[in-house]
Formats: sequence, structure tokens, C-alpha cells
Amino acid sequence: MWNELLYAFQEVATLPNFLAMFAGIWGGVIIGAIPGMTGTMAVTLALPFTFYLSPVTSILLLVALYKGSTYGGSISAILIKTPGTASAACTVLDGYPLARAGKGGKALNMALISSCIGDFISNISLFFLAIPLATFALRVGPPEFFMLMAFSLTIVASISGRSLVLGIISACLGLLLATVGEDMYGSFRFALSEDMKSGLGMVPVLIGLFALPELIKMIVFRPEDNAAAMKLGDNRLTLAEFRGSIKSICRGSIIGVILGAIPGIGPSTAAFFSYSEARRTSKNGDKFGEGELEGIAASESANNGACGATMIPLLALGVPGDVITGVMLGAFMIHGLTPGPLLFQNNLGDVYALFIGILFSSVFLFVAGKATAGAFTKISRIPQTLLLPCILILCVYGIYSIGASPFDVTVLLVMGVVGFVMMLLNIPAAPFLIAFILGPMFEDNMRRSLAISRGDLGVFFQSWISWGFFALTILFVTLTIRREWKKWRSNRNADTASAS
Amino acid sequence: MNQNRDFYAGLVATVFFAVILFVLIPIYVKVPSFIPGFAPPPDMWPRVVAVIGLVMGVLALVLAFPKMREASRDRVEGFGNRILGNKTHLMRFAGILIVFVAFVYGMPLIGFVPATVLLLGVLFIMTGNFERKFWMIGLAVIFPVLLYLLFTEVTHTPFPKGKLLSANISHLTTLI
Repeated sequence: MWNELLYAFQEVATLPNFLAMFAGIWGGVIIGAIPGMTGTMAVTLALPFTFYLSPVTSILLLVALYKGSTYGGSISAILIKTPGTASAACTVLDGYPLARAGKGGKALNMALISSCIGDFISNISLFFLAIPLATFALRVGPPEFFMLMAFSLTIVASISGRSLVLGIISACLGLLLATVGEDMYGSFRFALSEDMKSGLGMVPVLIGLFALPELIKMIVFRPEDNAAAMKLGDNRLTLAEFRGSIKSICRGSIIGVILGAIPGIGPSTAAFFSYSEARRTSKNGDKFGEGELEGIAASESANNGACGATMIPLLALGVPGDVITGVMLGAFMIHGLTPGPLLFQNNLGDVYALFIGILFSSVFLFVAGKATAGAFTKISRIPQTLLLPCILILCVYGIYSIGASPFDVTVLLVMGVVGFVMMLLNIPAAPFLIAFILGPMFEDNMRRSLAISRGDLGVFFQSWISWGFFALTILFVTLTIRREWKKWRSNRNADTASAS
Repeated sequence: MNQNRDFYAGLVATVFFAVILFVLIPIYVKVPSFIPGFAPPPDMWPRVVAVIGLVMGVLALVLAFPKMREASRDRVEGFGNRILGNKTHLMRFAGILIVFVAFVYGMPLIGFVPATVLLLGVLFIMTGNFERKFWMIGLAVIFPVLLYLLFTEVTHTPFPKGKLLSANISHLTTLI
């Protein structure tokens, strides 16, 4: 084993590999920071270049692009309230309020450090836990998936803000909007036009909901500080702030690794799951959503933690967990490597080389992120009257480029107006978003499970994994009801006292 | 203020989910005559969500109504009155809607780049701040063109050229 490791190290430590990783991380960060351009797009665009590279260099380039774009999404999420990728949507909740308060640099630093730690833990787990985690992931079928999604949806209670009822209304809107288009059996739902038959894209909905309402608000209400640039405060992250978030970073990384190893879940769910857990357990839980560094740490460590872990089922079993690992599977095949158990037998040297290279990429991520974040922080100095209209145009181009579809641009603009009306009515946008992302997975797995069991609800309680998530769901729902009941009673008592 | 907002939010949600449940689902969610195995029909999930949304909308109304009545007794100005009373805000909002609609329908006609140049220019004007006029004019023209070059070169996105422009050019070619 040690001989193979030494050989692998020699194979990785070459200039082409380092250049590929550096270019990949750098390119990924920039692409991820542009709204509408996703990691999938970055990896797909780079695929043709890998034909001319060695197998290890090719895969390292693609992995670096994936990791870079996942972190890059947080830059635009924090500075311009526009999540560059779906997995950065959760980072908006605390990142943007921090940027508005003149702590954009601090937020970016926290995002970078937690991303790198999440990434590193994920890489280590790839090294040591690939086989056991992949075996666990295979035991997660539609019923377990359904229970996991049910538990994830209880996050709505944590991110509803002032009113749980309005939070649930927002989540219902998201769930309903996610049903637009063709369902798993080929039936069309709410296909009011031909374009709607293929459903609504996640990116236009996401960006429309978060980025556009700010522009519309600025035009409609014209606040006095419009022309002013955002304040630039102390950008350094203190040791105390880092210490305060370390628990959430570690927990987020582990959540990312476990959820990332399960095919089909991806970094977005991991980010929301970790954010919710951090909010539940943190002593500053009430401040989440108002600009809490721990919130950024939780979501960023989880989404980057999931990145490396998505490679686990691919390498160990040959099962791609999402579109990006699907493209990587293609890259493996192009170079004559077949991911799966045989890869560990026949090409152990290449596998170790890949693992070592991926470990190095965490360091590159830190360097590239630090350099890029410094440049991006300057965005804060642009006055809102110039910045927000330009962001809309950037979003319009980015979203059109995804599928060359004018319908996606229409969805972006409509969602902007919907988001503005929601803002006026105090309906929180975050539950809408989480429901829109998780809704299709929840419904598909429920229907699939019932189809398998021929309608027997017992299918949801056949394994300990299902039971575990079911118990957590019930526990959390009970705690939420109890909390809301107490809040209602204390409000009523206060009203009675003030009336008398 | 908040109780009024909750009331209107509840009202909007109740009406919206009622329309979904009683009008849109029966028309736009078709249940196929044959579903393989035992699988819940396609309208099951939207119905469940719409019912929950409707119940929550009514609940928001019920919870906000007593507080709102109390507040109106103390002559607190309603949120609806504030919005409807301020015609300038309404006009600006209507203006944005018109600009967005014009962009969506105008873009296939005049082309993607001219449409985005116009959109950016109009949005700059609508912000009402003219301290940096030259920046506004420069950005309105240069920024969309730069983005066009970036996306056509990197992602090879085929942006619409515009029917009017293509028609005129082809017409000219035919004439020549």
C-alpha cells in the first residue's frame, strides 16, 4: 500500500496536475460567482479539453472546477444577494445582511474558511470511508429518501422568521410551483403554455426570488441611501468568531459528507439541512437570518463537504450521484477507466493519485478563494443605483445562456415580481426556496415508494434509517408546536395585561 | 402594521390556493385513465399542498383579524391604505411591470442585445438618481455588449438577433 501511495504522490506532484487544479479552482470560482452559470456548465464546458490530458489530470481539473464553482456561488450570494449556484441559496440568508452591515469581507472569509474545512473533511472521508459510505448510500431507497426529505422540510419552521403560518404558506407556494411540468408518469401539471410543460428551471426561480425584489424595491420606494455604496468595515475574521462557528463547521462538513454520498441529494439539501441544525442548536439561533456568521459557516461547510462526497458512490460503485458526477463518469470512460469496485483492483495507483490530488485542491481553493474574494469585495463600493440594474442584466444573460430559452428569462422576471409582492406582505422567501428544491424529491419518492408497495404505507417503516428520520421529524414537529403555543399564550397574556 | 400585513397575506393566500384547488387543478392537472401499479394520481400532491395552503391562509386571516380590529380602533393606518394611498409607488410598480412585459415581447423583435441595452437604460432612469449620468450611459451600452461577447465566445449561446432587424437585412439583400 505504501509503495502505491508513494507512486501516486509522484504521479500527482507534476506541473500539469498543479496547473490543471489551479486553473480549475480559479475558473470554477469565477464561473460560480456569475449568476446563472453553474458548476454543471463549467464541468461540461471543460470536458472537451480533457481529451488531450492524462486521466488523473482530467479528473482533477473537473473536480477542481466543481469545488471552485460551489464556493464561487457564495461570493455573489453574500455581496449581491444573488446565489451563483443553488447550493449557495442558504448563504444568502445571513451573508447579504452582513454585507449590508459593512461586513462583506468578514462573511466572505467565513465562507471561504468553512468551505475549505468542509472540502478537506470531505476529501479525507473519500480517502478512508469511500467503501463503507457507498454501501450505506446504497441502502437508502425511495422510502428512506422520502423520510429524509420529510425531515428536511421541517427546516421550514426554523427559517420562517416572525410567523410560522406565513412560512408554511410560503413553503406551499414553493411546493406547488415545483409541480409545474411533467410528472414521473408523464402527466402534465399546470402546463398553461407549451414552455411550462418542461417545468420551471431552478436557477431562474432562485435568482428571481432573491435578486430582483431588491431592484424593484429600490425603484418603487427610492430609499435615500440608494446612491451610497455599502459600508466597508473590518473584514478580518477574528479567532473568537471562528471558534464560535467551529462546531457548526464540523457538523456541516459531516452532514455534507453523508448526504453527498447518497446519490441524488446534492449540496443544496446538505446546506439547508446543516443550516437548520446549526440554527436549532446554536445559542445565537434567534439571530440567524439577520447576519450571523455561524449561518454562513453551516451552509458553506455542508455544500463543499458534499462536493467531494459525491465522488464516493461514483468511485466505489460507479453510480453518479448528480449531473456533474455523470459528466465525470463520461470523462473516466473516455480515458478507459471504469469506476466501480474493479477500479480499486485494477487501477489502485490512479485512485490514490486522484485522492491525493483532491486533497491538494483544498489548499488551492483557499489560495484562489482568498485572492478572488479580495477583488470581489470591491463590488460593495458600487452604488446600488448602478449595481442593481447591472445585476439584472447579468442574470438575464446568465439565465438565457443555460438553455437559450426566452421562457427562462420570463420566469426570472415573473419571480422577481412575485418575490417583491411576498416582501411587501412579509411572507418569507426562504421556505419557498427550500420547498421548491426539496418538493420534487419528496413527491417522487413518496409516489415511487407507494407504487413499489402497492399502496401499503408500511413501506415507510421497514428500515431503521426510515424510523430514525421519522422519529426526528415527529420530535421536531412536536417541539415546534410547543414553541408556537407558548409564544401565542405569552402574546395573549401581554395583550390582556396591556388592555387592563 | 404587521397585523395588517398578515391579514392581507392571509387574504391573498386564501384566494390564491382556492383558485388553484377549485379552478386550476381540475382544468390543468389531468388524471390519466391508466396508472401503472399502485401509484397516487398526479393531482394528489398538488391537492394536498393547495389544501394545506388554503387552511394556512384562513388561519393567517383568523389570527390577524382581532388584532387588526383592535389596531383600527386605535386608528393605525392600514398597509393596504398605505400602498393604495401612495399613487407614486403604484405608478412606479406599474412602470416596472410595463418595462418587463415590453422586454419579454420586444426582445424577439429587436434582438437580445438592443433589448438589454434599452432595459438597462430604462432601469437606470427609473432609479431616479442622475448623479452619475455618464456612468449610466456608458454602462447601459457597454455592459450588455461585453456580456454578449463573453457568453457568445465562452458558452456559444445563440442570442436572438431580432426578427425586425433580420427581416430588414434580408429585405435589403433581396432588393440589391
